[in-house]
Amino acid sequence: MANENSNTKLLSVATAGFWKQNPVLRLVLGMCPTLAVTTAGFDALTMGLCVVFVLVCSNTVTSIIRRQLKPHVRIMMFVLTIAAFVTIADLFLQAFVPRMSEKLGPYVPLIIVNCIIIARAEACASKNGIVVSIVDALSMGFGFTVTICLLASIRELLAAGTVFGLRLMPDSYVPMTAMSMPVGAFVALGLLLATANLISAKEA
Amino acid sequence: MVNSVKLFFRESWLLVACAFLFGLLLAVTDAAWAPKIAQNKIDKTNAMLQSIFTDGHEFEKLPEKIDILSGKVKTGESTVYKVTTDGRIVGWAFTAEGFGFADKIQLIVGVDAAFKKMRGFAVVSSYETPGFGDRIKGDFYRNQFVGAPAANLNLVKGGDPSAIDSDIVAITGATVSSTAVVNIINRYMDTVKQAMVSKGVISSGQ
Amino acid sequence: METFSILLIGFLSVVVVNNLVLTKFLGICPYLGVSGRLDMAFGMGMAVTFVITLSGVMTWTIDHYILMKYGMGVLRNISFILVIAGAVQLVEMYIRKFFPALYDAFGIFLPLITTNCAVLGLCLFLYIWQVKSLADAAVRSVGAGVGFTLAICIMAGIRENLEMADVPKCLRGAPITLITAGIMTLAFMAFAGMIK
Repeated sequence: MANENSNTKLLSVATAGFWKQNPVLRLVLGMCPTLAVTTAGFDALTMGLCVVFVLVCSNTVTSIIRRQLKPHVRIMMFVLTIAAFVTIADLFLQAFVPRMSEKLGPYVPLIIVNCIIIARAEACASKNGIVVSIVDALSMGFGFTVTICLLASIRELLAAGTVFGLRLMPDSYVPMTAMSMPVGAFVALGLLLATANLISAKEA
Repeated sequence: MVNSVKLFFRESWLLVACAFLFGLLLAVTDAAWAPKIAQNKIDKTNAMLQSIFTDGHEFEKLPEKIDILSGKVKTGESTVYKVTTDGRIVGWAFTAEGFGFADKIQLIVGVDAAFKKMRGFAVVSSYETPGFGDRIKGDFYRNQFVGAPAANLNLVKGGDPSAIDSDIVAITGATVSSTAVVNIINRYMDTVKQAMVSKGVISSGQ
Repeated sequence: METFSILLIGFLSVVVVNNLVLTKFLGICPYLGVSGRLDMAFGMGMAVTFVITLSGVMTWTIDHYILMKYGMGVLRNISFILVIAGAVQLVEMYIRKFFPALYDAFGIFLPLITTNCAVLGLCLFLYIWQVKSLADAAVRSVGAGVGFTLAICIMAGIRENLEMADVPKCLRGAPITLITAGIMTLAFMAFAGMIK
């Protein structure tokens, strides 16, 4: 009985990040990288995978030390952990994927202040065991990745006629340059959020 | 005093210990990957120099940087590269930067061995509008600089882009970006040339 | 005079040409959250300006005189965020002591300035832009705060009027704010190319 309950709980945690508690569309967190790196599909994918890596590592560490956390220093602890893993991810990109690292620029170190990661450390990892924390991290991380890749695909398709480098629009397509500029980012994200609101209102 | 130190440690031993451990982890990671990161930077510069100097084999960065002044104030500096093939100097390249439409534009400008004609330029980084200012990276604009005289370039709005002279035809719809590149090159070209002459590296003869 | 014009250009470039919120996408979370009312928006803008200036100056100093000098660039992210967290604590204590009513009004938003991308973002941009003098760093930090305040106050003014408009249900809240922000970026594009 206890096994069944914990399995269903695990499953609900695993799927939460994709829709019910989608960090971008429902919790409205982590807006900064969502707007900044979604000009092209591969940029968004790289950012998403970095966030997954940092989330998993930071949730694991936070979960391991959760019983030792003193109230005054917990935020500093979260921030320190996240900063360390983000630096490692940044160094990895600079060493092995330098062109992507240049395109993403300062937005990789800015994962440190990405609200999603601190929120998950506070809400989940500091209160649950390692397995639940890791599952939560994977769920939120991949939910975030899928969402920003979706936004990036839309923007890339309209602005350049390609999705992840695959040419989809006919050659006669006149690119909508506005989509690759800030105005396109804000408007596309706003409309995506509105669509999510519409869908969840219909569900209710 | 001892009590407050004890209290400090009791409250924050975890923070201090973790700071130490993470510091160690970062130091190890950095030591492992820093050489690769440095090599990536060199490779990138070399690839850009190769695109300008198709006949160049060795690229050597000169140790001294040249100061670019506006009046008496230093506004920037330029790194110079010597391009050689089999010991023979094929040309020179120097970095240049300035403001474009959106943000800074950074260029590497190539000139021939006598600093008389340009070999072309490459964009190191820019934030120009895609489809408009971004076309400074494209062939229509860049090819006009190949063979152009290494002094006093003019931006013109219409004309023959294939004519090899000091008139550079602007990109339609991207006048600011086109003007910016020409101004940056003009601003840096003279200073770098003077500095090279005064160092005796090239002759000042016409 | 030359130095003054360089500083002025640096200031203007951060306030309008490269406004942190509208062109670099920094500080969006508080921008969406606190721009409902003009007085709260202005208060938040002021607090952020204070924190950014303090953090910008301190992190630039640490970067220049310690990190770059001893080749400890890898510690940049950690040291920057710890300095910012400390600066926010300082500001919190200061406001709690001298402006208790304001402190109560802010509530949770004050400590949340630590996770404001704009603060860490500016500190990192000071490194990317290779800012060479303390005066330049200070001026750009203040400029970043002023730019943020400008953007958030304009948004607050617009949102106060939007309250009375008939916004469709699915667009209420974050979506319509984002679309409005998008139109604002178009307006701010007028400043591009201002700096030769």
